[in-house]
Amino acid sequence: MISNFITMNGYGLYVWLSFSIVFISCTVVYFKTKKTLQKYEQEFLLELQALTVEERNKALETSKVAQQILATSLKIN
Amino acid sequence: MFKFFSSSKVYPLIQKLINFINSIFFLILIIGLTFALVLSPPDYLQGDSVRIMYVHVPSAWIGLACFSTITLLSVLNFIFKIKNFYFINKSLAPIGLLFTCLAIVTGSLWGQPTWGTWWAWDARLTSMLALMLFYVFYILTFKLLKEEKLIIKVSSVIAVVGSINLPIIKYSVEWWATLHQPASIKIIGSSSIHSQMMLPLMVMLLVFLLYAALIFLMKYKTEIIRIKKKNIKRD
Repeated sequence: MISNFITMNGYGLYVWLSFSIVFISCTVVYFKTKKTLQKYEQEFLLELQALTVEERNKALETSKVAQQILATSLKIN
Repeated sequence: MFKFFSSSKVYPLIQKLINFINSIFFLILIIGLTFALVLSPPDYLQGDSVRIMYVHVPSAWIGLACFSTITLLSVLNFIFKIKNFYFINKSLAPIGLLFTCLAIVTGSLWGQPTWGTWWAWDARLTSMLALMLFYVFYILTFKLLKEEKLIIKVSSVIAVVGSINLPIIKYSVEWWATLHQPASIKIIGSSSIHSQMMLPLMVMLLVFLLYAALIFLMKYKTEIIRIKKKNIKRD
């Protein structure tokens, strides 16, 4: 039964190759996207830290997005 | 109405959605793979090679759906000047390209044992290749052009011109004599696919949709952060 599952009655190469290509491509794209997102979050935080206290407070007051990024990074750290 | 699409309103929802998809994704993936590789029966003609359909068909559908959405949003952006649509399109295009490429590759892997050839210049295959090229040109506009207004114009033109190809893909199997079989699943009318194969196909479609949504949300979030980073002092 296991042998049948692997060989897929002679179509194993095509079936497993199709599923593997899909799985590998999707995994690579997922990690690449995640890495880019984390890079931008880090850069945003560095930019925020580089501001003066007044500028930073103003940015945090006016931007919900900035508040969210800061909150997320605090949760992770 | 379009204020709903402002980044400050959408951003808090994005992380919640990402967490939600992450929490259910692997469970649905395992169910989908079990159905697709173990529980679904082999086809009476195609044998076990029919299992390739469970990754090929959802990939093709998502590839087409992404381009349709890109076209619609490009037109809406052109009329209503909603900048967020531009970011949505920019985030959608790589997903569409990925799934179109996967549809072509898995279709080729299905074609070899079924038709005896990896590739044929058949109307369906060629129009899918054209769709892939439209995606490549569309993405290249973001990479090569610098001025945002010009990017919006050029990418919108590519999207609208590319959308002519969408009905060609859909009806190519009816308009021309093709190697590719006609559609087995119809929105209107009865489908010619058995429920034992329809169920795994729908579960795998859900898996692919969740994955596409996850990547889209991550890319869209990156776009919002990129813009906010640029305007950090102005905010």
